[in-house]
Amino acid sequence: MLKKLIRPVSLFLVLSFILLDFSVQTAMAQMVDTGTVIAVQQQQADRERVAAFLGREDVQQVMIQHGVDAAEAQKRVDSLSNAELAKIANSMDQLPAGASAAGAIVGAVVFIFVVLLITDLLGLTHVFSFVNAQN
Amino acid sequence: MFLVLLMPRTEPKASPRLIQAGSRMIAGLLFSVLTIVLSSCSLLPMGPMPQTPGEPDSAMVSGVPFFAQDELQCGPAALAMALNWSGIAVQPSDLSPEVYSPGLKGSLQSSLIGSARRHGRVAYPITGSEALLAEVSAGHPVIVLVNLSFFWYPKWHYAVVIGYDQQQGEVILHSGLTAREVLSSRVFMNLWRRGEYWGLLVLPPDRLPVTGEEVAWLAAVSGLEKTGQRRAAAIGYATALERWKTSFAAWMGLGNSRYRLHDLEGSAEAFHQATLLEPENGMAFNNLAHVLAEQGKRQEALAAAQRAVDLGGSSLDTFRQTLEEIMQK
Repeated sequence: MLKKLIRPVSLFLVLSFILLDFSVQTAMAQMVDTGTVIAVQQQQADRERVAAFLGREDVQQVMIQHGVDAAEAQKRVDSLSNAELAKIANSMDQLPAGASAAGAIVGAVVFIFVVLLITDLLGLTHVFSFVNAQN
Repeated sequence: MFLVLLMPRTEPKASPRLIQAGSRMIAGLLFSVLTIVLSSCSLLPMGPMPQTPGEPDSAMVSGVPFFAQDELQCGPAALAMALNWSGIAVQPSDLSPEVYSPGLKGSLQSSLIGSARRHGRVAYPITGSEALLAEVSAGHPVIVLVNLSFFWYPKWHYAVVIGYDQQQGEVILHSGLTAREVLSSRVFMNLWRRGEYWGLLVLPPDRLPVTGEEVAWLAAVSGLEKTGQRRAAAIGYATALERWKTSFAAWMGLGNSRYRLHDLEGSAEAFHQATLLEPENGMAFNNLAHVLAEQGKRQEALAAAQRAVDLGGSSLDTFRQTLEEIMQK
């Protein structure tokens, strides 16, 4: 009884899975959806903002205080992953607009950044897996 | 609160030594509780709320109906007020199944956002008093998440800010059982800070927030598109293009939502505009190729698909599939 059923049932299942797969493929599977477009644009914007941030004079001064080569830091922005860039850009958003407290907080953000760069330089990237090592 | 709970636990059957240790522990606890209390209510300075220079001193949004909330139903009530202002006639009780989580005895921010989208409205989060005051003075009510108590005993609450007066130092809200409740701005900012300054605009898709930013608005509109509100999404993208005329993502979104609305001609036009804005970006050519193929323009479709593959990028696999699919037609 069961054996008799197995063939038609499995045939039906196989067929229905094939049909299911087809319907998914034809339904706009290869259109790039808007969410993807926005995510890519967001990543580009993040990269530009972080680069612009590192280019600021006050930020460069803090980096010099920590003995970090600003040009090298700029270069390394490109090796940061999207998630990491988003994290930095997000922490930049939290900076208050007022000028008074900015110094201390800029220092803190740069500090995080410097830590990342140093661990990157020391080859400790297994600690921060989101930093792409350059070699 | 903590001390009341702790005292009876340690006192009854304690030996002298234990009492000593206990009292030391209590002293330690008292100290840390005091520290927590004091640090969490480190008072914000008196005076007006931080505001962008040049904005009006006072403002009041008209046309925001008040719904008194049922117990624990501040989420549905706040959303209903914002939705009614935006032109959607709903009652809090209609929204409750979409918004309120009985297990949590409250409503999640993401549920408010999801529910606003299901009603074809753009849910746009804002943060900070500058944005809040600018939006209210532009005539947009703002749903805010506040913590009426401290973080270690949170009492979360949603209310709708409908006005403010910087001279008087006042914020006006529809909140709980009170319409037009007047709070001092200092108290309001303390409560709102514990809600991490979370605010939400619920806007018709043709109305941009004055503090709106391109990517954030488009992300909010693409949420509408995902919810299946394609017509509203198309309006949202078109509205974005009025302010950000060179927005590649807005043209892409417009193309995608028109495609889903079976407006092939309009969709092709939008993707075409996107290719003009970013001729080095394969994504627009890829989507254009699909629409052209459906319009029966095989040669043009092939050319566009080939162009996408040539340009490459992170979506190259998708572009290759597109090309193959069109070649097989």
